[in-house]
Amino acid sequence: MALPLPPGLTPPEIAFLCEMELVTIIPRQRLEALELLGGPLKPLVPPQRASVPLWHALLLKRQRRANIVPPPWLSPEPLTAILDHETKYGDTFSPPPRLPPAPSSNTLPFAPPFLPSSTADAAADALPYHWLELGEMLLEAAADDFEDSDSVRKLLRGLREVRMAKLRQGVEVLDAAGGFEMTGVGGMELGEARAFITGVIDGLRKIAASREQQKRDRDREERENGYSGTADYDDDEMEMQ
Amino acid sequence: MSSYYDVDAILTDAQKVPCAFELTVPGLGFLEGNMSGDMKQGSKVELPLWLGEMLALSQSLNTSSLVTLDPPSALAPRVLNALKADPRTVDLRALAPHFYNLGARILELFEEEEMIDVLSDTFKARAAVIADQAHNPRGALGEGVEFMRGLDENERQLFRASHDSAKSVRAWMTDLKNK
Repeated sequence: MALPLPPGLTPPEIAFLCEMELVTIIPRQRLEALELLGGPLKPLVPPQRASVPLWHALLLKRQRRANIVPPPWLSPEPLTAILDHETKYGDTFSPPPRLPPAPSSNTLPFAPPFLPSSTADAAADALPYHWLELGEMLLEAAADDFEDSDSVRKLLRGLREVRMAKLRQGVEVLDAAGGFEMTGVGGMELGEARAFITGVIDGLRKIAASREQQKRDRDREERENGYSGTADYDDDEMEMQ
Repeated sequence: MSSYYDVDAILTDAQKVPCAFELTVPGLGFLEGNMSGDMKQGSKVELPLWLGEMLALSQSLNTSSLVTLDPPSALAPRVLNALKADPRTVDLRALAPHFYNLGARILELFEEEEMIDVLSDTFKARAAVIADQAHNPRGALGEGVEFMRGLDENERQLFRASHDSAKSVRAWMTDLKNK
């Protein structure tokens, strides 16, 4: 009861995490290399493109020191294709970007946010984990860097509606022990749907608690009749309930 | 599972269930409104769940229990049939303010496989409608009012939780614009 916040992350926290994503900018001014806690930033030389974290890009954009190059998936044609996919397949989400081939055995594989899923050379046919937050923030701060920001904004809204409706319908297939496919769901969507989905699962589990209890009792009886090796372990488990 | 101070658990246990006395109890007639008389054998009274449960489960010396419990009217076959037909139109709040909690408590006492299925399906079907209402940016108005009034306490919490998360995402988006 210490924090009055619900479990999970709040939208500002999710957006904060999203600001670690790398985006591509075209600087307008020189900037020396910076040594930051999160790693060094290369020097910015005006005509050359550079990949910087989103927070830095937004800062430079606001000071009119750089232009942001929107990631390729954040443009009307790919978004329309993804929206078509979403409406065509009613029960799955559009797949997340493909992971790069597994590296050789002595290096660790990269995972987001260290994969450049939002830079100018990212894949154009899939929504990365932070698609909604990143899209909203870029559209807000750098709408003039988009070719057609209005239709991008409209498509993002449409995608969000379709996918939230799917998340809501998904609970109908849940039961106390089941699950449903959430591959490809983004960070902000998870944050929004978490309270509802966990609430439904908790409610179902409460209703089916007596059935689980019976099953557990039956299992225990069978185990005690069959072999007594696990009886101690099981007793411990019962006390914790 | 639930805490000692859980208000919802306390209120669930305070709901009345029909009980039939198996023995004649001297001086207990006030439960029936019979101020000075005895509680006759076989008489039926509505007792709070916690009291009825305790009396039904306690074994007195002569091995027969004091009362027998019946499922409350909120979980009568009539109600379950109505829920099977269409979960959305039943006013659960009028039946019992803590309908699902009451159901879970009753299921601890009785073995009713079918009731578990009916309650789970009801909860799922109604949860989908609740989510739609909670994400409605104009608020739960219009044709939803009747349904929203019939939500039980669990469902109200669910509605509040999903409404709050939708609201905080919307607030974040408007914050972006004001920066």
